Amino acid sequence: MKKRSLRHSALLSSVLVSLAAGVSATGASAETFRWASNTDPQTMDPHAVNSAPVLSFLNNVYEGLVRRGEAMAIEPSLATSWEPLVGQNGWRFHLRENVTFQNGAAFTAEDVLFSYQRASSEAADVRSWFAPVADVTVVDDYTIDFVTTAPNPLFPDSIANFMILDKGWAEKNNAVLPASDAENFATMNVNGTGPFVLSSRDPGVKTVLKPYSGWWDTATHNVTEAVFTPIGNPATGIAALLSGEIDFIQPIPLQDAKQVESRKGFKILEGEETRVIMFGFGHEHEKLLYSSDVKDANPFKDPRVRLAASHAINMASIDRVLFRGKIEAASQLVPAGISGYSEKNAARHEYDPKRAKELLAEAGYPNGFSFGLKCTNDRYINDEALCRAAASMLSAVGLKAKLSTGPVRDYWTQLRADDFDMYLLGWSPGTFDMEHPIRFLLHSQDDAKKLGSWNFGNYSNARVDELLPLIQQEINPTNRQNLIDEVVSITQKDAAYIPLYTQPLIWATKENVDMTQRADNFFLLRWVTVN
Amino acid sequence: MFYFIYKRLIQSVFVMLAVAFLAFSLFRFVGDPITQMTGVETSVVDQERLREELGLNDPFISQFGRFTVDMLQGDFGYSFRTRQPVAEMIASRIPATLELGVVALLISLVVGIPAGVYTALRPRGVITQTILITTLIGISIPTFVIGIMLIFLFGVQLGWLPTFGRGETVNIGFWESSFFSIDGWRALILPAVTLGVYQLTLTMRLVRAQMMDVMRSDYIRFATARGVPMRQLYFRHALANTMVPVITIIGLQFGGVIAFSIVTESVFQWPGMGLLFLESIRFVDIPVMGVYLVVIAFFFVVVNLLVDLLYVAIDPRLRV
Repeated sequence: MKKRSLRHSALLSSVLVSLAAGVSATGASAETFRWASNTDPQTMDPHAVNSAPVLSFLNNVYEGLVRRGEAMAIEPSLATSWEPLVGQNGWRFHLRENVTFQNGAAFTAEDVLFSYQRASSEAADVRSWFAPVADVTVVDDYTIDFVTTAPNPLFPDSIANFMILDKGWAEKNNAVLPASDAENFATMNVNGTGPFVLSSRDPGVKTVLKPYSGWWDTATHNVTEAVFTPIGNPATGIAALLSGEIDFIQPIPLQDAKQVESRKGFKILEGEETRVIMFGFGHEHEKLLYSSDVKDANPFKDPRVRLAASHAINMASIDRVLFRGKIEAASQLVPAGISGYSEKNAARHEYDPKRAKELLAEAGYPNGFSFGLKCTNDRYINDEALCRAAASMLSAVGLKAKLSTGPVRDYWTQLRADDFDMYLLGWSPGTFDMEHPIRFLLHSQDDAKKLGSWNFGNYSNARVDELLPLIQQEINPTNRQNLIDEVVSITQKDAAYIPLYTQPLIWATKENVDMTQRADNFFLLRWVTVN
Repeated sequence: MFYFIYKRLIQSVFVMLAVAFLAFSLFRFVGDPITQMTGVETSVVDQERLREELGLNDPFISQFGRFTVDMLQGDFGYSFRTRQPVAEMIASRIPATLELGVVALLISLVVGIPAGVYTALRPRGVITQTILITTLIGISIPTFVIGIMLIFLFGVQLGWLPTFGRGETVNIGFWESSFFSIDGWRALILPAVTLGVYQLTLTMRLVRAQMMDVMRSDYIRFATARGVPMRQLYFRHALANTMVPVITIIGLQFGGVIAFSIVTESVFQWPGMGLLFLESIRFVDIPVMGVYLVVIAFFFVVVNLLVDLLYVAIDPRLRV
């Protein structure tokens, strides 16, 4: 009796399973493109948050005056051309005519002015882009001037992610400012000029985009519907790709690349991100916080000690062991190819433990010393493993690093509170120009001028501080490069930071999908072709 | 009876307050919400202004007080991360978690109780040993490993079931349900099994132990002697008497299933409250974390209350 009832349920479950199998055979329709990433864009408001997941996603929906092409160079978008203003500092943008927003409204200079006011308001997290702007004036419907406080050759480059909203739409829906405490209409709804419109949105679960038929540019993609799902757990994401439920995922863990590649029907897109991983020092600290032997001084104040640390690190073996040969060693705070990259200083401090020991001895620490090394364990690829390896390499020359790692969510707070002797940092130049890390990482801390805000150890060099405004204002490219070369040369000799490598970027797709992997890790649907 | 319920509800308010207090005292160690909310280029001055606006510079007691007073007035606040109302965010995730929890519970009961009875009645059989060993393995492997193994077997290798998400859902009023489409059920199977394995093993072992105990008792012997049919004996007399402790444990465990479905939800990208909580931790979204913990405390209290009421329904002796 009992036996039979058990057998019944076994039979029932096998029927259920085969039923399920039958259903899965009739998969989803082919024209829908499904993709996943590890973070959901937290808002649909292009001015509310200055974060890569949001800006990357919204670049499909909204557009700026300029946009970045496949190789990161800026190209005309809503502006067809731009030139420096005559007689004053700033830029004039000539706008594209016959562009309509997704709600049918016409695009004019008024929308640009409105978007500028919105994006530079206190409630907007992107307002730092407009720090150099003194005034914006509408010349006519299709011409607008951005007046800057000083000559600013890089301004057009710096606003590639400044997205234009429709003034009428925002006013009608009470979304004149980005949401600061409660949500507003623009948090969940969009009205851009871009190639895709928002079809539905369930935050954290699923967001659906459809092509915008009225887009001014010629669509080269063949996507009829795009479904985005955030998948936080990397293993789940890989499983979703391999089972065919999604067509594309960005990024994937380094260690999974091989597995995906070895399967039929899938491929890996590999590139270099623009993010340089580096070690920084507590330059202005009077003494070490985590040392058990040197308690009354901070040896890292001495450039020889910092150089010793730099010579102690064997990048080739880090690359081979931790990154499977996928990383490019870095000599400065931006990777080669970024504008302003200093070719003259392209040689990094070579791995030379003997030299490192000599330098330490010269600095008065022949037996080395112990100190604290702070690292994240969930921010950069293999960050914890990297720090472990580096700590043992440093220890080998006498720099006995006591490693402590933690999640990124309270890492910056600790660094801001000067709670470190040496620390790990990754930096991606938001403007894709060397000026960016000089402004944020090398210039002395100056909260009022908003300079050096990520220079946690407060590296301070009067000449570097003097050079930054010159670099920002220099129009002549050769002169500008000379100024930058000088900064790179100074900071390299000083070992202000130890640049380690450029972080690799790994995406995975089905074999039949073609797309462009941009170095800023932005994924744009307009470059997708499903074959 | 009503007094009893009333008393429990009053107690629940204190439980929730205590949870909120503990939660709030821990939040300071989770991280800094401001650096998670702003981009790298945001100036220190702007960060400070935002910190001030959100009241994060206020002392712990006044932050906690504000949270509690707002909660009591039904104002659950807004998420730091998405700016959406927290009440709405959590409410929209409740159906997913509850449905997953209920199905996991049903699986554990439908499989666990018969298996418990069987293994009690045939303690030395080969099937019994097999069941006991398999479930022991099942209970020893961490949930996320079971989940990933199931995903790779049924999702990737065999391609039978979806690997993530809820599949197709149907809205019934505010309730987004997976129960009304085949796609929804298919998506439910793997996470529900993953979540239910532990519960299943527990139920089975509990039923087995209780059943073996009861089968040795005098009234079963007398019933056997009287010639009561075996089926009636096992299920009506023996099983019914094992149910009181079983229900207590299962009931209490159900609160745990809801609360700790976090791991399963993360492995299957199941859009429930647990997943929301995990995301909130990542972004130091204090309002969402606070409300989530209070809601979970409330669930525990309600489940306990229901268990107490069920006792009375099952065991006539308690009604006196």
